[in-house]
Amino acid sequence: MSSLTYAAVTREVIRPMFKPTVLWLGALGMALSALALGGYSWYTQLSQGLGAAGYKPPVMWGVYITTFVFWIGIGHAGTLISAILYLLRAPWRTGVYRASEAMTIFAVMTAGLFPILHAGRCWYAYWLFPYPNQRELWPNFKSPLVWDVFAISTYATISTVFFFIGLVPDIASVRDSSRGIIRKVYNILCLGWRGTDNQWRHFMAAYGFFAALATPLVLSVHSVVSWDFAMAQTAGWHSTIFPPYFVAGAIFSGCAMVLTLLIPMRLLFDWDEFLNMWHFERLAQMCLLTGNILFYAYMIELFIAWYSDNPYEWGIFYYRPTGDYWWVYWMMFTCNCVIPQLWWFKKIRTNLFWLFGISIVINIGMWFERFNIIASSLAHMFDPGAWVYYLPNHIEIGILIGSFGWFSMWFLLFVKLMPSVAIAEIKEAMIPPLLSEEKAA
Amino acid sequence: MSTNVKAVFAHIDALINGIHLVKAAGYSDRLVVSTPMPRHDVEHAIYPEGRPSPVRWWTLAGGMAGATFGVLVSSLTSIDWPMAIPGGKPVVSFPPEVVIMFECMVLWGGLATLLGLIYHCRLPSFGLAVELSDPRYSNDHFGILVQGVDPKAQAELKDILEGVGAIEVVAGGATESANA
Repeated sequence: MSSLTYAAVTREVIRPMFKPTVLWLGALGMALSALALGGYSWYTQLSQGLGAAGYKPPVMWGVYITTFVFWIGIGHAGTLISAILYLLRAPWRTGVYRASEAMTIFAVMTAGLFPILHAGRCWYAYWLFPYPNQRELWPNFKSPLVWDVFAISTYATISTVFFFIGLVPDIASVRDSSRGIIRKVYNILCLGWRGTDNQWRHFMAAYGFFAALATPLVLSVHSVVSWDFAMAQTAGWHSTIFPPYFVAGAIFSGCAMVLTLLIPMRLLFDWDEFLNMWHFERLAQMCLLTGNILFYAYMIELFIAWYSDNPYEWGIFYYRPTGDYWWVYWMMFTCNCVIPQLWWFKKIRTNLFWLFGISIVINIGMWFERFNIIASSLAHMFDPGAWVYYLPNHIEIGILIGSFGWFSMWFLLFVKLMPSVAIAEIKEAMIPPLLSEEKAA
Repeated sequence: MSTNVKAVFAHIDALINGIHLVKAAGYSDRLVVSTPMPRHDVEHAIYPEGRPSPVRWWTLAGGMAGATFGVLVSSLTSIDWPMAIPGGKPVVSFPPEVVIMFECMVLWGGLATLLGLIYHCRLPSFGLAVELSDPRYSNDHFGILVQGVDPKAQAELKDILEGVGAIEVVAGGATESANA
């Protein structure tokens, strides 16, 4: 980044904004079509009732809960990069954190739809929130589902605030390099930010505290999500390994999603200065680390199930790779444990084609992991008379596709409306212009 | 009538020297420095002894209030409708409440930090001194604004700022109340 000046950073980051290209419009059109398919599927489900979805009792948690956990997991990498790596002072975070954080917000927004979709009668969704009903009964605060409401709503609020605070100085940069109505709107959006010493002093303190609050939060959120399962006595779920296992899986899938989003962004916006192989290689290494934690978790889960000599536990873990859902299990295993090992080779880790391809494979694998955990355990519970083979139907697949449309729509709007690379932080990491050097030269 | 003196810099070392000299000339408490990004060296030049932001007290208060709220709401509602669960399980049980307590602590602590930031930064800051709204300050220039300069001392201050390497020094204009 040595060749860049401050002015060039501002100019380069703002350059792609506000100018819709044909490619961008095409992508937005695809996202909106996917969203329309999801909307139509939801409409069908609303008009016909939850029976329209492919639930097969006792499998009452299917694709919706799977996809909910998937999207929440995607969000985790954004907070890891923006908060944890900020506290650890990892320099490679600077270029990638803004887009990753945006990904977090939109992923949580997508995940937030699924409890509502899953609840069926969505107009009663407010029942999820803790308030006393007409019999003055409060929700049971010992229930992991109530914890989940607290965890997800806190996570959504705090990451949105953290994201917005980081954006304020950059929105001010956009304001100062534009005119007319854009200038007025962005002046309101950045709350009239002026970058005075007093503002920066409080900003930096607040930013540090947000990072410090978000760091344990991100670890807690997926732990709480894992307790939605682990607190139940269902075989295959009732396990103390779940919190670290889920958190590692979340960061693994999230870092892969960051790669999936940033590689096209770098190519389309020509941002080699901000997003380069150095960043992508770090993300791949992060995937390698968390992916192998996940690999270990898969193995130890199998080992403990066998070693415990508990027939129910071993029953489900024997069923997963060999029973009806064998293809889900091996899909998960291949995508999450085998293919990412290719990133041990530097040549593959530093090749955009392989980086992008493997990141897509991981996204697919991580969706199947959640499906494997949720569906197989419910389809194969304690009573053999109730064993079923659940597969999603077209309504659920439609809503799954719609969720990708919803997420992509927000991300595409974001890259055109907001600076997708943190201008102020890039400048902070640069060598400032010095008068003494200019004189010496 | 006192006036404001505004100096624009293109170099960080010139800016820092300027801050030291303006402070030495006796304007320590009437100085506003604008930069496109936060810099520790600028902050150290302004506050050599360090001056921690009071935002931390907001975070602490919000976090403690949130944690208290989390414990209270989950225990008091359990006491309000005590369920006699066989097996000796307590009506009020701390371990599951830790989750609610923690989430409320983070939520309240974060929101209080936001309020503290807004309060101490005086956001939304639409009424700042007109000299501060220079579009260069969010791009690639730095600025010093000295407020309430005696017209007689203006020329002297201007010389100091120009001598240290400011690319532009403007004096004049009536002082608006600027509390940034």
